[in-house]
Amino acid sequence: MRIFWILLKKELHAFFVSPVAYVVLALVMVLNGFAFRAALSVLESAPSEGSIVTWTFHAMWFWLSYFFIFPLLTMRLFAEEKKMGTLETLFTAPVRAWQVVGSKYLASVIVYCVLWLPSLFNFKFSQWISAGQVEVPSGAMQGAFLILVVMGMFNLAVGCFASSLTANQIVAAILSFTLSLMHFLVGIFVMVVGRKLSDSIVDVVNYFAATEHIRIFTAGLIDSRALVYYLSMSLLFLSFTHHVVEFRRWRP
Amino acid sequence: MIDVLNLTKQYAGRTAVNNISFHVEPGEIVGFLGPNGAGKSTTMRILSGYMPATSGQVQVAGFDVFHQSISVRQSVGYMPEMAPLYTDMKVKEYLRFRAELKGLSGLAMRRRVGEVMELTGVTDMRKRLIGNLSKGYRQRVALADALVHKPKLLILDEPTNGLDPVQIRHVRDLLRSLKTKHTVLLSTHILHEVEQTCDRVIMIHQGRLRANDTPQNLTHQMRSTTLLHLEIDGQGNLAEKLAALPGVRKTTEEKVIVHPWRRFSLRVEPDQDVRDAVMDLAMKQKWRIREMHRQLPTLEDVFVELSMNAGTPTDIPTHVL
Repeated sequence: MRIFWILLKKELHAFFVSPVAYVVLALVMVLNGFAFRAALSVLESAPSEGSIVTWTFHAMWFWLSYFFIFPLLTMRLFAEEKKMGTLETLFTAPVRAWQVVGSKYLASVIVYCVLWLPSLFNFKFSQWISAGQVEVPSGAMQGAFLILVVMGMFNLAVGCFASSLTANQIVAAILSFTLSLMHFLVGIFVMVVGRKLSDSIVDVVNYFAATEHIRIFTAGLIDSRALVYYLSMSLLFLSFTHHVVEFRRWRP
Repeated sequence: MIDVLNLTKQYAGRTAVNNISFHVEPGEIVGFLGPNGAGKSTTMRILSGYMPATSGQVQVAGFDVFHQSISVRQSVGYMPEMAPLYTDMKVKEYLRFRAELKGLSGLAMRRRVGEVMELTGVTDMRKRLIGNLSKGYRQRVALADALVHKPKLLILDEPTNGLDPVQIRHVRDLLRSLKTKHTVLLSTHILHEVEQTCDRVIMIHQGRLRANDTPQNLTHQMRSTTLLHLEIDGQGNLAEKLAALPGVRKTTEEKVIVHPWRRFSLRVEPDQDVRDAVMDLAMKQKWRIREMHRQLPTLEDVFVELSMNAGTPTDIPTHVL
């Protein structure tokens, strides 16, 4: 466990000394600002059912940022070490593969969580300057940020896996982007053609449709099925990553 | 310290290391030689626990490299070829990170990092980003990293690659000073260094073991001939007369330097010394000699001969193997 914390510290350090974390943070802040503004204008124009939280995470701007984050955060994790040859230095020290995979993953999750702090601040700030006129339901807030974290954990695990497959960061980024997008599009596809499909298929697909999860959670409903789904999928992709990293040691 | 038995490593369709066996005793400095692509780095990576062997047994410090990989890695300080390092870290920061990974902590870790920085001469660079260091300094940081946990065995893959002559001498002195506490296995192409530093030489070529002996024995028992350089003032066909001496294989007249001095080189059978015979001949013929220099075969000659000879190990005389 000691080794794990040492590695985690190093990974976090790598994130924050490189410009990547700041560039992503700036990008996310800008897009979140747009999403927030879009939500405000929806509420301004007409009375509406959803809260500001719902409308923020339904904005196109939010989804735009959503797909950029994961490849940017995870592409260098393993690919860079492979290219630089530092994986060899790393694995000739007494470290285990799970410690390396776990620390890299957890570091990316921590950075990801930091990225959403400005958005949290947006809501609190609007509540404060409007003296409570802008209603920010706490259930919706908790649900929204909970689903953001677990969806992030899943997509970051996918990104880790993509990065472990190649020594080229661009390839890793494209792979991770494609996997995340495909996962997302399944949900969209059903939403678009849903009426033509049988209800049972729609129900099944809704289990892993990201848009559906966002809709439910930003309404303040905490659905354990989605949580279990994302967490178990994260574990699955992390174990894939672990296998890819360990494969070097087993290849005859 | 190292026990390798019938080690074979195959990459997809290519045999990098072919059935080699050797031992290294504690406290030895062993030079691991071979032309590029001979399988040196592969063998060293297997020894350091980075990759598994296709077949054969490898034990390092009494641990199996595959089944007890963590214990092996704790007792080995490995410096990979090209010295890959995290370029976004500072020297001291990097060494502290590595020291912690290898189990040091607190004051002991800080003190040890200071020690190895001093040993390898990177103390002045401790606050510099590794990415901004020159090749020579990076090489030394990697060496400091290999040393930091006082490993029983040091495996150094071309540690002097990219260093200037002063730094090479520094590394050589460092390795010698480590001899009492560590066992060292190093690969290099600077054979002069090996002759001066190593107790023993293991040479591989095309994945096969070609030689395993002390540098002295290797050069001494070489099949290649010794060279004798002469500068003589004399008339007539000197070359023919010199060639007639027993033990001389071939005589060539190189050039006239300053009249009347003439320069010859004699190829002499191994284990033969014709210097006395040359002197006697000169006395008899009334020649004047102003230079006689015997050039013994070096490790370089051994290296070249073993590398050029692409035959099977049976072609090599038994004393070399």
